[in-house]
Amino acid sequence: MLDSELHTMHLQELRRGTVVLACLLVLKEPNYGYALLDLLERSGFAVDANTLYPLLRRLERQGLLNSDWNTDEARPRKFYQASKAGIALADALCKDWNDLDSSLRTLKGES
Amino acid sequence: MSTATTTASLTERYIQAALSGLPPQQRADIERELRTSIADAIDARVEAGSDETTAEREALTELGDPARLAAGYADRPLYLIGPAIYLDYKRLLTTLLCTVVPLTGAVVAVVRTIEGRTVFDTIGGAIGVAFVTALHIAFWVTLLFAILERTRGVRRTPTRHWTPDLLPEPTSHRAGLGELIGETVVGGIFLTGILLTPVLPFAKDADGRVINVLSPWLWDTGAVYAYVVLTAAGFVFGFVRYYVRWSPVLAIGGALINLAAAGVLIWVATDGTLLNPAFAQAQAWPSTVSKWVDVGLLIAAVLSVVVTLTQVVFGFVTKSWSTPDLGSMIRTTAAGIAGATRR
Repeated sequence: MLDSELHTMHLQELRRGTVVLACLLVLKEPNYGYALLDLLERSGFAVDANTLYPLLRRLERQGLLNSDWNTDEARPRKFYQASKAGIALADALCKDWNDLDSSLRTLKGES
Repeated sequence: MSTATTTASLTERYIQAALSGLPPQQRADIERELRTSIADAIDARVEAGSDETTAEREALTELGDPARLAAGYADRPLYLIGPAIYLDYKRLLTTLLCTVVPLTGAVVAVVRTIEGRTVFDTIGGAIGVAFVTALHIAFWVTLLFAILERTRGVRRTPTRHWTPDLLPEPTSHRAGLGELIGETVVGGIFLTGILLTPVLPFAKDADGRVINVLSPWLWDTGAVYAYVVLTAAGFVFGFVRYYVRWSPVLAIGGALINLAAAGVLIWVATDGTLLNPAFAQAQAWPSTVSKWVDVGLLIAAVLSVVVTLTQVVFGFVTKSWSTPDLGSMIRTTAAGIAGATRR
């Protein structure tokens, strides 16, 4: 029988690094905090707001995202978009993900 | 904005709480973005049918503790000492506690005894000073490592490269047993010698009767028997240590035997006297000799207490009978300090 608590714990471990990749992929198009949170959740990458907001700023500091304040609307919004470096990293990480997937297939004997 | 004044104060309080934990230069930009994000989250809930008060509560609840959010923005760790330097922290702390604490206690005990304080006063003072010393060491070492953890450039760098050369030496079983038997034989001769002193003819009085080297007080009070029995028990315990695995009860039991033996010596040195005054007189020794023999006895007893306590602490730390290797402890401390200052 599958221990669901144990499963949840290991699943969290497994997914921890994927939020960054999902962010970079989604942010090929500019987007802002809350909308991004909503979009990621609908895409199956549920992430806490208090994790995502600081993460966006960390990625920006690392030069992977650019940001721009949009003050056209009543509510000023900070829009983030993946930089060249961010897109390059996303591509590299996608390739790593595919490598992992094929390695796992080999391990499972599917090859 | 669609938020009502009564509920706006909750958001306001939340934002103030989060910002207060941030460096001033980051505040303005984060405040602007956070305000929008919270308003967006509230609006989404209101559109889904909640009333504004509930929507705001839910949105803020989802954001969680503002201190946690601020730590995320400021990239601050939510722990005191992280895994990269924790082992160095633990080693340095253990080493200092095992060496400095017993030492300060011993120094206080010796000083108070020379000052002629009572046994109670001496032991109480030594324990008190040792306790305060331990508190200081624990506090300052922890503070030092907490600061190191929060200093940029220090974190995430493994402090000391571990190689197999750093593995502790195994204690040789056979050599250990030989040593133990040797100690026991010498100890047995020593104890027999003590019990035989009343008949050993080192000095005789005018009537030709033997004058004992050791004070008759020891026999009158039974101190000599207490010491012999406890020391013999200590040797027996040496074999127990050798054949039985370490356990907290055994470790404490063994330590109590040693401490009791040392206690008898302290009692002799403070309340009685070791040398027989008549013997000193017969040898025409100055009267101070007897006093200094007692001081020497006291120092030996205190050292024995220190060694015993160190062994117990070390035993509890390593969960084994192994005794602290002072040389390697000093090297570890020096390497730790050198490593900390180099960075």
